[in-house]
Amino acid sequence: MQQKVIEFTNLLRKSGIRVSVAEAIDAFNALDELSLDDREVFRDALRSAMVKRGDEIATYDELFDLFWSGFYDNLKGAFGEMEGELGEMGIDLEQLLSQLAEMLQDMDGDLDLGELAKALLTQDLSQLENLIRQAAEQAGTQRIENMLQVGFFSRRTTEQLGMEGAAQELEGLAERMRAQGMGDEAIAQMQELIRKLMETVRRAVRNYTERELQQQNHNYMEKFRREMLTEKSFYHLTEDEIARMREVVARLAQRIKNILSIRKKRLKRGKLDLHQTLRRNMARGGIPFEVVYKTRRKDRPKLVIMCDVSSSVANVSRFMLQFMYSLQEAFTKIRCYVFVAELGEVTDVFHDGDVSSAVEKALDGGDVINVYTRSNFGYAFHEFWKNHLSSVDNKTTVIILGDARNNYNDARAWCIRDIRNKAKNLVWLNPESPSAWGFGDSVMDRYMPYCDVVEECRNLRQLSKVVDQIVL
Amino acid sequence: MFKSVEDVIQQLSDQEYICDKQIATVVYLAQQLDKPVLIEGPAGVGKTELAKVVSRALGREMIRLQCYEGLDEAKALYEWEYSKQLLYTQILKDKVSETIAGSESLADAAERVGAEDSVFFSDRFIVPRPLMQAIAAKEPTLLLIDEIDKSDPEFEAFLLEILSDFQVTIPEIGTIRATSQPLVFLTSNDAREMSDALKRRCLHLWIDYPSEALEIEILNRKVPNIDKRLAEDVVQLMNRIRDLDLKKTPSISETLDWARALLALNADELEDQIVSDTLNVILKYEGDVQKAQNELSKLIEKKTAEAAAEKPQPVPTPAAAKKGILH
Repeated sequence: MQQKVIEFTNLLRKSGIRVSVAEAIDAFNALDELSLDDREVFRDALRSAMVKRGDEIATYDELFDLFWSGFYDNLKGAFGEMEGELGEMGIDLEQLLSQLAEMLQDMDGDLDLGELAKALLTQDLSQLENLIRQAAEQAGTQRIENMLQVGFFSRRTTEQLGMEGAAQELEGLAERMRAQGMGDEAIAQMQELIRKLMETVRRAVRNYTERELQQQNHNYMEKFRREMLTEKSFYHLTEDEIARMREVVARLAQRIKNILSIRKKRLKRGKLDLHQTLRRNMARGGIPFEVVYKTRRKDRPKLVIMCDVSSSVANVSRFMLQFMYSLQEAFTKIRCYVFVAELGEVTDVFHDGDVSSAVEKALDGGDVINVYTRSNFGYAFHEFWKNHLSSVDNKTTVIILGDARNNYNDARAWCIRDIRNKAKNLVWLNPESPSAWGFGDSVMDRYMPYCDVVEECRNLRQLSKVVDQIVL
Repeated sequence: MFKSVEDVIQQLSDQEYICDKQIATVVYLAQQLDKPVLIEGPAGVGKTELAKVVSRALGREMIRLQCYEGLDEAKALYEWEYSKQLLYTQILKDKVSETIAGSESLADAAERVGAEDSVFFSDRFIVPRPLMQAIAAKEPTLLLIDEIDKSDPEFEAFLLEILSDFQVTIPEIGTIRATSQPLVFLTSNDAREMSDALKRRCLHLWIDYPSEALEIEILNRKVPNIDKRLAEDVVQLMNRIRDLDLKKTPSISETLDWARALLALNADELEDQIVSDTLNVILKYEGDVQKAQNELSKLIEKKTAEAAAEKPQPVPTPAAAKKGILH
């Protein structure tokens, strides 16, 4: 049992659930306190000791079922089936086995059966399970990677298990029974039994190997999925991935919020506030028992976001907006503009509260612009310069998101220069790789001199890096 | 003392708290292993209630520490009562002068006062806060640290120390050790991820929204006058509402509030009108209410259609028969 729990712990760790040694010990202690007949109790006890995050519970449950759903039960099923099949042939397994057991007792001593043969004859399934497990381990089944290897590892496991030897021993037993004058019919039955037993064990081993593959695959998939999402380019996302990506963005935003709250706390300690100290200590005759400090306030940045919402960069805009609006309280104010060629303000869309639906609305042009035109950055920036320049002041960080593919229109880089002069910072995020900037119809090189920061932003990792820089 | 997992379920149910095996297992283990329990889950599923009920079932006094941003040691552990100390020095002025009377030098006087300082730093001037109350208590207690996620990370680190040793060191007095270890429950709404160190020391319990059957049972128990069928309808509807993408998903406490509201309004079945009138009991945002309303009218339409389909068989239900007599 202990061995199995340790194995299970290892499996959890491989799947990305962190289980410390102390927690594993807790799990053992917990099991000591409980009766283990109840599967549910067993599961909950292990979980409460080892899995401490809400989002890991689903993974845990899945793995638990995979691991504990009992290879044993499976084995039992297989042997039950075998008994049924034998029964159809007119062989009563129980009777046969008890006969055998009697004979074995008579022959006690001068018979040397291997462990496997013994386990089979006494139908000791838990012993059989152990043997298969050990054999599989020696055969290296835990290294299995794909379907094609199932046959190979099954064969190696049966070799390790010593199937050949056991079959021979059982045959030898049948021979001896003949020598002791058993009837032909009984011998035939015995041989049938041996054949069936071997077949069942072979199938069980294969089953075990397949389960192992499933477990390993699970580990692999999980890791793969997680790594993939943060590295995957925004250009190629499926609907499902967008949904999952949203969760990841929300988590990242939460993390940044935590960091922010710690930052704020550190800033709290400033100079002695004499006024407040005297007021607070009036109850003690003005003797300063409690000292109050002036708090320094950190300026929260104002944000103006300009998003290109043409289809080529829509995904980047989507996550950028979600990210920023999840962090709303980190900013004094966020104003949001979208453009393709026309430019319009969509700040109001976000007042309703539900961020994700607001983002979708904004990407759709928010009823203020036509999104079905060809990108024209110069025109859009000129529009901003004409109508909205007043929303930028010296505390504002301006974030522009776009690929700067201008369809050979006039770039009007001077608009960006003027915006930059009024703002605190101007950040440009471009989902294209730097090597493509300035080639073809990209006018990135024209805008670049006026930007404080220009970053490539094509996947979540890069996006979160940029957000980190802006917020912290 | 709980004797087994089943015993936990039984005893809590005696206290009007219906729980499933998962909760019972963890509570039982917490008692057996002397480990704190970290309870997480959405708001309103009965995390705090669980602690209260366990304390009642075990006959332990419950000491509650409500966490909030800026909570510090002085508010959680102990504090010197400055004003009282000050007052005493004023009153005892004469006594103090007596003590230092005849001292030859300033240093000598300070020495003499110093020898007496245990008078001013004694139990008398300490205000024990919840953590110290729990540790210093003679009888075993239950310590509930509520909404730990609202506290600051520094406080969490400090809490770790208390939870592993169950002792407090006051420099002026000495170390106070817990005579019997209190049972500790921590609750968190997941506003912030707790540190791994804290999680490692605790058993973890995730309480989710209950299954439909369990919720009906809870409803019947907590609102005993409610009609069985109405209870079922209410729970079914709540589950539908929870599936919607809402800003604040209603939980058990809202189910109970709503059932009580319906009862107070003498509603014996869920009609369109009464539901939309009372929707603000379960939903706390205007946007949510609107979303739910659409969903509900669909559901109720379906229900009435079903009811209409059932009607042709004129078998009077007992309730209907009773009504007939009344009118």
